[in-house]
Amino acid sequence: MAERSYLHLWLMRALFTGLCFSVIFWRILPLSTLPGSWVGPDLIAALCFAWVLRRPDYAPALLIAVVVLLADLMFQRPPGLLAALIVLGCEALKARAPGLRDRAFGAEWLVVGIIAGGIFLSYRLILAILVVPQAPLSLSLMQLAMTVSSYPVVVLVSALLTGVRKSRPGASTTGARRFGS
Amino acid sequence: MAKDRNQNEDYGGPLRRLMLGVLVLGLLGLFLLWRIDSPRVEQLRAAVIDKVVPNLDWAMAPVTGTVNLLRDFQSYQRIFEQNQELRRELQQMQSWKEAALQLEQENARLLDLNNVRLDPRLTYVTGVVSADSGSPFRQSVLLNVGARDGIVDGWAAMDGLGIVGRISGVGASSSRVILLTDTSSRIPVTVQPSGQRALILGDNTIAPPIDFLEDAARVRPGDRVITSGDGGVFPSGLLVGRVAADPGGRLRLRMAADYERLEFLRVLRNHASPGIDTPGDLIVPPRVLPAPPEEEEAADG
Repeated sequence: MAERSYLHLWLMRALFTGLCFSVIFWRILPLSTLPGSWVGPDLIAALCFAWVLRRPDYAPALLIAVVVLLADLMFQRPPGLLAALIVLGCEALKARAPGLRDRAFGAEWLVVGIIAGGIFLSYRLILAILVVPQAPLSLSLMQLAMTVSSYPVVVLVSALLTGVRKSRPGASTTGARRFGS
Repeated sequence: MAKDRNQNEDYGGPLRRLMLGVLVLGLLGLFLLWRIDSPRVEQLRAAVIDKVVPNLDWAMAPVTGTVNLLRDFQSYQRIFEQNQELRRELQQMQSWKEAALQLEQENARLLDLNNVRLDPRLTYVTGVVSADSGSPFRQSVLLNVGARDGIVDGWAAMDGLGIVGRISGVGASSSRVILLTDTSSRIPVTVQPSGQRALILGDNTIAPPIDFLEDAARVRPGDRVITSGDGGVFPSGLLVGRVAADPGGRLRLRMAADYERLEFLRVLRNHASPGIDTPGDLIVPPRVLPAPPEEEEAADG
């Protein structure tokens, strides 16, 4: 039993990594080199939030850091800053997870929105303080809005396709966290 | 088992927190290092991309091909209109071709008369676009040629028609082209009939504005824009595009290069381009003697 669940844990971690990589892969396809007037959601951040709230052991901090750092490098962002902020944001979400477990989805969505907004604000602030050239504010705001509004879809898809749901107390899966832990 | 896990977490609490702190500090440290010594971290970035992207090539080529095929399929719906349009354009092109041939002959005769030798150093390496920037905020593409093929930072990249951008970031077998539309792109240009110097400032739109014109009144929409070679970064005399005016009256550049589909790019060898190996110093004039103001005015013009 223990070995099987161990295997399952690592399989789910690999699945998380694979999902994030496929997002990166899709984004760097040279499909359109025209500057667009709209911006899609930051799916990697949404995936991290959704998985961390449901199964924190499938998306450990180190894995999130590595994946987002790779995305930073691939997408020509300042390397490391967004990775650090997302890791911190995920930790903040993890700390709130026990309180959110029995609440409706709306509460979770709100908390995720607040955390995403916090990440957005501190990202822009730190870049502004260090005088790094930034993307236009309207585009970044649009990305924030898209990320928050795509969050339910990400949650639904990861629940339906990969079976990442909130663990109920008493469910005997590897990810089950007991009260107070 | 669950008990075991709980114990693990109790053990892991402080240690986990410590590791997390180290992780976050490491990431922030990398960011600060990038801010302080950007060329070195950008080299690291180029090396990582160089490792990752060529490995994805087997998957990226078919997926890109399929998506483009589907897009083409959509455009088949209006194939009749397109055909008519093409016919009309072809007729116009025939007359232009005739004019171009005559001009070419005349040009060759004149060059011959003047005994002009065109710059033989402008040879090029052709690369295939293998990935784009992946971010809506940055406009760049990745080519499958790199340091292995002799690519150097700062060289110009063209498609068959006009300038597309410049090389920034070279890995062993890949290099990044910052497009003219990127917010960090600044290209010195000359607007043709009037000879006005200007800068093309990328601003994440398809038609970047033309700024720092000496006398905007002498520039009209439709004028040709070519690189001026100022600053020694770009070779001079390469076609960039044409001037256009937006509804607000601001002069913008309509690019000659076909940005809708960048597939093959030429990287022009330019052996005069200075290397970038320091984070950047202040640019000071070689002589610090104060020049009389009227002389400065003349030097500016």
